[in-house]
Amino acid sequence: MTVSRRDLIKVGLVTGTALSIPSVLRAQTSPASARTVHMVKGDLRVFDPIWTATNITADHGAAIYDTLFSLDSKFMPRPQMVGKWGVSDDKKTYTFELREGLSWHDGTPVTAADCVASIRRWGQVHPGGQLIMARASDISTKDGKTFTIALKESLGILIDILADLTPPCLFIMREKDANRPATEQVTTNIGSGPFRFNEALAKPGASITYDRNEKYVPRKEPTEGLAGGKVVNVDRVIWDVIADQQTAMAALQAGEVDYVESPPADLFSVIEGDLNLALQVLDKQGWDVVLRMNFLHPPFNNIKARQGVLHLIDQEAFMRIMYPDPKYVDTVTSIFGKDTLVSNEEDTGWYKKGGDPEKAKQLFKEAGYAGEKVVILDPTDWRESDNASQFLAAELRKIGINAELAPMDWGGLTARRAKKDPVENGGWSMFITAEFDYSLGNPLASPLLLANGDDAWYGWPKNDEYEALRAKWADVATLDERKALARKMQPIWWDFVGDVRLGTYVSPVAHRKSLTDLIGMPQIVPMWNMRKASA
Amino acid sequence: MAAYILRRLVSAIAVMVMVGIFVFLLLRMAPGDPAAIIAGKSATADMIAGIREKLGLNDPMPVQFMHWVRDMLGGDFGTSIFAGRPVLDLMSQRLEPTLSLSMLTMILSVTVGVSFGILAAWRTGGLIDRLLAVFSAFGYSVPVFVIGYFLIYFFAIRTHWLPVQGYLPIESGLGPWFVHLVLPTVALSLGFIAFIARVTRASMLEVLSEDYIRTAAAKGASSYAMLIHHALKNAGVPILTVIGISFAYLIGGVVLTETVFNIPGIGRLVVDAISNRDYPIIQSVLIVTSGLYVLINLTVDLAYTLIDPRIRY
Repeated sequence: MTVSRRDLIKVGLVTGTALSIPSVLRAQTSPASARTVHMVKGDLRVFDPIWTATNITADHGAAIYDTLFSLDSKFMPRPQMVGKWGVSDDKKTYTFELREGLSWHDGTPVTAADCVASIRRWGQVHPGGQLIMARASDISTKDGKTFTIALKESLGILIDILADLTPPCLFIMREKDANRPATEQVTTNIGSGPFRFNEALAKPGASITYDRNEKYVPRKEPTEGLAGGKVVNVDRVIWDVIADQQTAMAALQAGEVDYVESPPADLFSVIEGDLNLALQVLDKQGWDVVLRMNFLHPPFNNIKARQGVLHLIDQEAFMRIMYPDPKYVDTVTSIFGKDTLVSNEEDTGWYKKGGDPEKAKQLFKEAGYAGEKVVILDPTDWRESDNASQFLAAELRKIGINAELAPMDWGGLTARRAKKDPVENGGWSMFITAEFDYSLGNPLASPLLLANGDDAWYGWPKNDEYEALRAKWADVATLDERKALARKMQPIWWDFVGDVRLGTYVSPVAHRKSLTDLIGMPQIVPMWNMRKASA
Repeated sequence: MAAYILRRLVSAIAVMVMVGIFVFLLLRMAPGDPAAIIAGKSATADMIAGIREKLGLNDPMPVQFMHWVRDMLGGDFGTSIFAGRPVLDLMSQRLEPTLSLSMLTMILSVTVGVSFGILAAWRTGGLIDRLLAVFSAFGYSVPVFVIGYFLIYFFAIRTHWLPVQGYLPIESGLGPWFVHLVLPTVALSLGFIAFIARVTRASMLEVLSEDYIRTAAAKGASSYAMLIHHALKNAGVPILTVIGISFAYLIGGVVLTETVFNIPGIGRLVVDAISNRDYPIIQSVLIVTSGLYVLINLTVDLAYTLIDPRIRY
């Protein structure tokens, strides 16, 4: 059989056409519109931002709901849904009037009754909200757009609490939704915020779609942090759930998505080397890594043993193990976080670069440590914490502590950390967690800063003197007074060692350079203001 | 035959009941609290306790089990603890991607695998046979995620011929649907092609050494007639068995492939549900999967009668 030149040309043309079919089809199916933004985010499992304190649901809340007040970039509260507000001379009655143009996604107007019901529901679960409810003598409407909060005694930080960013945040819901108990999930997803939830395209676990709320009336002021006008510059935002980080990065490189919330640290150099991609730290305060100890059982029911751990920790080493890129980590010595309005350096003499294992050993000896088993809960599905847990076990063993790792997934850890039993009966001694640096600036909002024993967060630290000072937080009105109070609280905490800090880190997001004007704030990644340039 | 099918269907129900009890108990005994996961990392104990109460997780285990059985018998697969949506809705959303991927994978695996096996048996010891040996070693030993990343790198990132990830439903057009499934199908198929080809080759070699094949050759039958009409039909039973087993293995392989190529299928649904301790989803998916498994086995058994008339039930 002979092959002619004409046959070869035919074969070449057919092959070329066949090879080009996929890319032609792909071009037809790609999200061509520059008005659609694809963001790779975590899995939005729960849609009610009051029912859960997870950040992904807070992001969802920020998209579809609105807030009475919002924090600016300096963390000062500014009115958002509220048009005018005032407080009586005795500081006990606050009056709020809603601004013009607020309406629900179903077309009905936002009323003062919606706000009152929302405050009451949120007040069941948010620590600051619970404080407001405890002090309030009456929360009621005056007319369709005005409502009041009357207090039994003044509460200097009331506006700060209403604007607080620590989930569950005060998102205003329709009265009929907010009238449900806080333990019952609201699934209607009808808010008054700058985005509408697209129910028809919602595929939990796969993708969630938000459309621009064309009827939203933003404030006139320019955007400033979460405050000011929430101007939406895109038509649609799609949250894609891509479980595999490598695939997410490949999709970003190929231009299939515009934003990846948690790029893997080992691919930072790849991102930095790609001309189309950028790394950006949106939450400049980041996270504090916290080591919780069980106050109920030996050895950490002994203050000396806890102090031993405080002196043992080499924060630089822990951060190197958890987050190898030194650009994104730092040490932290304030219980109120590294960079909050009340962070301070009071009584931080315990901090020593490299740690002080000899002193730690001595303190454990003084505690009468007799080889009791120390069980460290090790969440193997959270790689950074897994690394840190293993390192912690090794460091403890070096000074003669009988440390044992209990590997499990995060789901298992959340169940076991609630057990108050001794380690022999399935209890625990230590686990590592992380908290937003921002949240640690408010001891009324962050459960990690409680020291009221059984009612405190896991580990159940107890110190009455510290708690008495923490209770005063609600009564101080000015920032200077709060700073002074924080300086008194911190030495007590470091003395009884309510917990131990392992360092602080920030997580950059990765995005295509065509995506600009992202707002950088803690806790919440807002979707307004951002722009997408044509590819 | 009808009595046999009925017997098998009854035994399928028994298997599903056993699976149901086993899964229910296993999930309740495994550590983990869905209420704590729902509430979030920094949630207070009060918040978690409230959610537990509302979800009925504080009820005694037998009570929870009876509620579940009652609902299942009424056709109610329950509501996702997390999403607050009916499990049946979530499963139906995820069924199409998984079925699409599975069907394309089986079509590709069976056509290529059987053809490859026949060719290798026909030219045993030749180039094709040796290539099959190399390919089989590759297909067996390289995990699907490695093949997946390799395909993504060359065909999506480097050449931009195909998308990296995602799935478009068939209603968005046959072309877009197919294009999104090319890479995952190829990645998932390689192992099955190798498996089916090896078994086909071995089975064909055995049949090709039979006297009647030599007789057919002596009578002047063409290679095609000999291979397809005489040999393949008689080598069919083991090949069909392997295809049935491949279907069962496919269920496991789909989970990894769906993760690598971000296909929102049943596999991803159940993996996410396990990490969230979303009991109703895990229970329902496993019940349905086990039923499917039994039905595939039944179909394969019945298909034997079509290939080999000597087999009767």
